[in-house]
Amino acid sequence: MLSRVANNLYWMGRYIERAEHFARYSKVIYFSALDAPILKTYDRDFVQESMLYMAGIFDMESKTEKDVLFKIGLDAQNSNSIISNVSMARENAHGARSAISTELWEAINRYYHLVISYPVDTYLTTGFYEFTQMILDQTSIVRGKIYGTLLHEGEWAIILIGMYIERVVQVIRIINSKLNDVFKIEQAGHSVTEQSFEWTTLLKCVEAFDMNRKHYASIPDKNQVLEFLLLNQSCPRSISNSLSGIMRYEEKIRISEKRDSETIGFKIGKLQQKYQYLTIDDFKDNVYELLNYTQEKILEIGSEFEKKYLSY
Amino acid sequence: MESNGYRILDSYKPGNAHFDEVFIDSGKPKEHYQNTVDHFNKLTLSDYERINNEVKSSFFNQGITFAVYAEDKKPDERIFPFDLFPRIIPKDEWQELENGVLQRNRAINLFLNDIYHKKLILKDKVVPADLIFSSKNYLKEMVDFTPPGGIYTHVSGTDLIKHTDGKYYILEDNLRCPSGVSYVLSNRLALKKSLFDLFNKLKAKAVYQYPEQLLEILKTVKPKNVDVPTVVVVTPGMYNSAYFEHSFLAQKMGVPLVEGRDLFVEKNFVYMKTIYGPQKVDVIYRRVDDEFLDPMHFRKDSMLGVPGLMNAYRAGNVTLANAPGTGVADDKAVYNYVPDIIKYYLNEEPILNNVKTYHCDREDDLKYVLENIDKLVVKPVDESGGYGITIGSTLTSEEIDAVKVKIKADTRKYIAQPIMSLSVHATYIEDNKEFEPRHIDLRTFSLLGKNSEYVLKGGLTRVALKRGNLIVNSSQGGGSKDTWVLD
Repeated sequence: MLSRVANNLYWMGRYIERAEHFARYSKVIYFSALDAPILKTYDRDFVQESMLYMAGIFDMESKTEKDVLFKIGLDAQNSNSIISNVSMARENAHGARSAISTELWEAINRYYHLVISYPVDTYLTTGFYEFTQMILDQTSIVRGKIYGTLLHEGEWAIILIGMYIERVVQVIRIINSKLNDVFKIEQAGHSVTEQSFEWTTLLKCVEAFDMNRKHYASIPDKNQVLEFLLLNQSCPRSISNSLSGIMRYEEKIRISEKRDSETIGFKIGKLQQKYQYLTIDDFKDNVYELLNYTQEKILEIGSEFEKKYLSY
Repeated sequence: MESNGYRILDSYKPGNAHFDEVFIDSGKPKEHYQNTVDHFNKLTLSDYERINNEVKSSFFNQGITFAVYAEDKKPDERIFPFDLFPRIIPKDEWQELENGVLQRNRAINLFLNDIYHKKLILKDKVVPADLIFSSKNYLKEMVDFTPPGGIYTHVSGTDLIKHTDGKYYILEDNLRCPSGVSYVLSNRLALKKSLFDLFNKLKAKAVYQYPEQLLEILKTVKPKNVDVPTVVVVTPGMYNSAYFEHSFLAQKMGVPLVEGRDLFVEKNFVYMKTIYGPQKVDVIYRRVDDEFLDPMHFRKDSMLGVPGLMNAYRAGNVTLANAPGTGVADDKAVYNYVPDIIKYYLNEEPILNNVKTYHCDREDDLKYVLENIDKLVVKPVDESGGYGITIGSTLTSEEIDAVKVKIKADTRKYIAQPIMSLSVHATYIEDNKEFEPRHIDLRTFSLLGKNSEYVLKGGLTRVALKRGNLIVNSSQGGGSKDTWVLD
């Protein structure tokens, strides 16, 4: 496989995953807030701040609701908007066109055209739910084509490595963003740690609410949710599960490696093992520290990966 | 489906002034079109439009599009126009075409070998030596070099038209990087989905084999000492207008699609940069023009090429398809000699007709051309894509004078031909919601390998969508049709 093509596939995976997390987060935050229990603090500004925080936008001047929705969704000038992410995913798929199946290419191409032709007016008035849901549905189709129409070999593994690395990055962002919301609510004099609403919302932000309910069969609280999202091996979007994914697919393309702490396989394995043997008690008092550490390591792994495989 | 006796082809008026492929003058369909006309006549206009729209969105999803850029706007992606009404060629008519095209390409391949080696045809004055040596497409890098298997033109696109007399004429040979074959395969797929019932009534020869055949042909010309060759397709990149075709062919052959920057040359061997390091490349189907192939030999500013590629090629370590320097033979001035070239090398009569061609660098011809510009098509010899062509009957007297000045300034650059009347074919015109006659031509695709040859059954029928327009190139607003060779 050409390094250039591998680079396209890796970034295609990352952008597909990123667009999905942005859309899901925005949708869940926006709609769950409509009838939130602490309505006073949950005004529209608060919701918009949260969505912008997730999208990494901290310098927006005009912040009407429509401005914010446009910025995160259909603003092609904003490189972090959903439309930009989907465009980049498609651009990378186009560059790797001959290395992927026709089915996968057409799924991505169709997805792209649905997004860029979505009418801005509709999106801003009645279509926000439909649009974000469409992103999730199209991502499922694309993911289905990745699993079902590619040989489970190099190209496939590289796309998945991109998706899993991005998943770790975005899940950390989502948790951080939600913890930031909680912090702000508490600062305003409300106690939320004992309430399930915030934690339910956080679970829904990673489509893990039903899974969590099934696993614990109890009302979610902070520690339970953090344990689930960070450590649960069976939850497909937990950090622990995602790290195992990165390790699994990197092993798939690795030829041979010396036992050396500088190698990428070693770094992935070390981080994954750390998560294998953590308990909530180890970090419940300092979640940020663990999240920051993980973020730093995953970015390091990402750039090592690019250096080793993608930048010949 | 039938409503009120309305039939969508009833309003069609055959193009009486030209050869109508589908209908005879009275409006009756020709025998080999009867089934198809009946089939279309069973559809209501809304059925037809629905099918037409489905096909369009299928092309759109496949990414068979080109981008139109406008300032301050997202690039607008458009599909290449495709007409649902297939062009049908009876079996015997096709067989003669196929024989003629193969004969022509065999002779041209021998001609290339000769002009880069012994130059017998020039010494025998069958073709003027000046004509060859003055061509910018005659590459000194190719002199005395024999490409693997002796093959220069692995892929040829031969453009043909049918004149008022109902006979095929060769319009031009495309021996460099002829494109369009991906549309043939995509058009067929689209038509199978939308008019499947018609395929039950008429047996059209399959076209899907082309990529397999191309790969086999490329393998026959592998460099010596290579057991299982690594074949790649080289593209200028995803912003090239033919990128769809490049990626399509690579994907269908199951070989990597690479860009110049993915390759490098070391000790006269070519390697591609993979995730595991360098991998040797043996056969390159290149879709990059000669002048961009290798900045060490050709254009220094080429970002698309691979430095040292020509040295590796001349060392026999990599095969390029097509060979560099084939453009000298599809020069429009050489075109006129192809019948002589066929006789010279094959000792056969040409099967397909050439269009009478006047060379402006010959005194007699020049005189005739200057006096008869209004009756002639004037073409630059070294341009492709329909550029620089003037059609005499459409010019004002000032424009005719301007053409005269242009010709006199560079007589070698121009040839002229009688205005050939391209045949017409019933074509759906969306604006008018009815079928009208439109001019068509045909590009055939043939492959030449070591001891093997292949012609795609049918080819790309291009259709000029503007009424009266004779230029069918997609860059000039042309569309295409599926082409059926009957079994």
